[in-house]
Amino acid sequence: MIEISSAAYQDKIIELLNNLNKDGIQFSYKEKKGINLYFETNAGDLEKASSLAKSAIKNQPWGSVLYFRVSPVK
Amino acid sequence: MNALVAWLEKFFLPLASKIGGQKHLIALRDAFIGTLPATMAGSVAVMLNAILRDLPPQFIDGYDGTTIPVIKQIITINGYVWNGTLAIAGLIFVFSWGYNIAKAYGVNELSGGIVSTAASIAGITFSFTGGIKLKGLNLDPATIEAINKAGWAATPKEITATGWGWLPLNNLDANFFFTAMIIGFIATMIYVKLMLKDITIKLPDSVPPAISKAFASIIPATAALYVVAIFYWLFSLMVPDMTFLQWMQKTIAEPLLGLSQGFGAVVLTALFVQLFWFFGIHGPNVLAPILESVFGVAQLQNVNLFQKGGADLVISEGYNWVRGSFDAYAWFGGSGGTLVLILAILLFSKRKDYLTVGKLSVGPGIFNINEPIMFGLPIVLNPIMFIPFLLAPVVSVSIGYFATIWGLVNPVSQQVVWVTPPFLMSFLATGGDWRAPIVTLVAMVVSFLIWVPFVMAANKMDPSLGEEAEK
Repeated sequence: MIEISSAAYQDKIIELLNNLNKDGIQFSYKEKKGINLYFETNAGDLEKASSLAKSAIKNQPWGSVLYFRVSPVK
Repeated sequence: MNALVAWLEKFFLPLASKIGGQKHLIALRDAFIGTLPATMAGSVAVMLNAILRDLPPQFIDGYDGTTIPVIKQIITINGYVWNGTLAIAGLIFVFSWGYNIAKAYGVNELSGGIVSTAASIAGITFSFTGGIKLKGLNLDPATIEAINKAGWAATPKEITATGWGWLPLNNLDANFFFTAMIIGFIATMIYVKLMLKDITIKLPDSVPPAISKAFASIIPATAALYVVAIFYWLFSLMVPDMTFLQWMQKTIAEPLLGLSQGFGAVVLTALFVQLFWFFGIHGPNVLAPILESVFGVAQLQNVNLFQKGGADLVISEGYNWVRGSFDAYAWFGGSGGTLVLILAILLFSKRKDYLTVGKLSVGPGIFNINEPIMFGLPIVLNPIMFIPFLLAPVVSVSIGYFATIWGLVNPVSQQVVWVTPPFLMSFLATGGDWRAPIVTLVAMVVSFLIWVPFVMAANKMDPSLGEEAEK
């Protein structure tokens, strides 16, 4: 599982990651706690999955100014 | 809070995203960032000279680093580094600027950098004029003849020296930035548009890519440079006494930099950075055009003044508030001055969750990394943290600002890496002024007093408030 802390554009982040499929890595939205969003992932390497999610968000037109954090949840 | 966030997402965030995602502003931000290898190397050289040459005399009577053989050589080496970096910071920037604009449009970046540099340099004067006019000067005819023969002009009372083939350094350093931003932009955009319209020389596929790429850029680059050259020519007809760079300095750069020195401008900038952070937007990214192209340029001016004449020259001719002043006096532990919040939590919080996050945040906080506390506490979108998160940095900025303009501390004149711990940061940033860490300490104590009541108030709140899971 990975955790994404973001105050803004949470719906867009959920939609983006639910539809993301890169190098066989996929994400599925699990729950939201305050500013934290939790996603299940099929990736064995959570660091790689976190980095993939982070770059996917940053590459969005709305993502370049977003202040957010992505971290693996072990 | 949810309604506020929804409102922000609908009206405010799209605007912030537009500013932050605007390709020219991103190119401008990246152009400044791109110069960092040079400007940081130059700053290290200036700082080493500050430590070896300018700092010791404050504590050791009669110290003169330039008379100590080893130190004298190190100062000379640092001078070479400065020559190739901060002395020509504007020149380095203008290449980076053109390169990043071309990159944003997906055309040959190298040619973009070259066009931007060539177009901006084209307007710089290659000649110099100087002279001597002394009371009591009375040159004999033979001397006058010799001086006139050498190409200068002399009368019995005056010598006027002129020359051609010089690039004045004060046209290539921080003074160059505003001209470079405008001319570099116009020239590179002409080049980019012609490239995109495919008005290029096409060579057969058998020609190596490096050659065909360079050839493809010839027509767009030539057109861009001619447009700019015609502009310079028209400008010289309308304003014969000044180059475009001198005119830009006088009419735009100096007034703009002067405006940035007002208390209102400094406080508003600090306030907006905090506001953006609080609502989950990367403040310095959105405000990079102001932080880097105004306060950043002022900082480079100060660094160069320090290299030329030490802290005294910065005080007399430099800027009081520059990019690094925010880091030195307000953003200790990261934006928001969160290092003192961590301390307040460790001393006054009774909440287990706060104490856990506080302990985890100490290490990164010392190096001004505050993501753990910003998202762990969290501070972002946490109503109880809104007031101190905005107020503490504004008060800290005010303390640093007035301490500087009242002459209680030297202006920031060095570029210091942002992960430098707080007291060391302000000490180094001011070129080794021992009073700077004291100003930082005062700002920290006041910030601490602002944070404490809110940390104590949080003790009375339910830790699980707003944390309920939503599927």
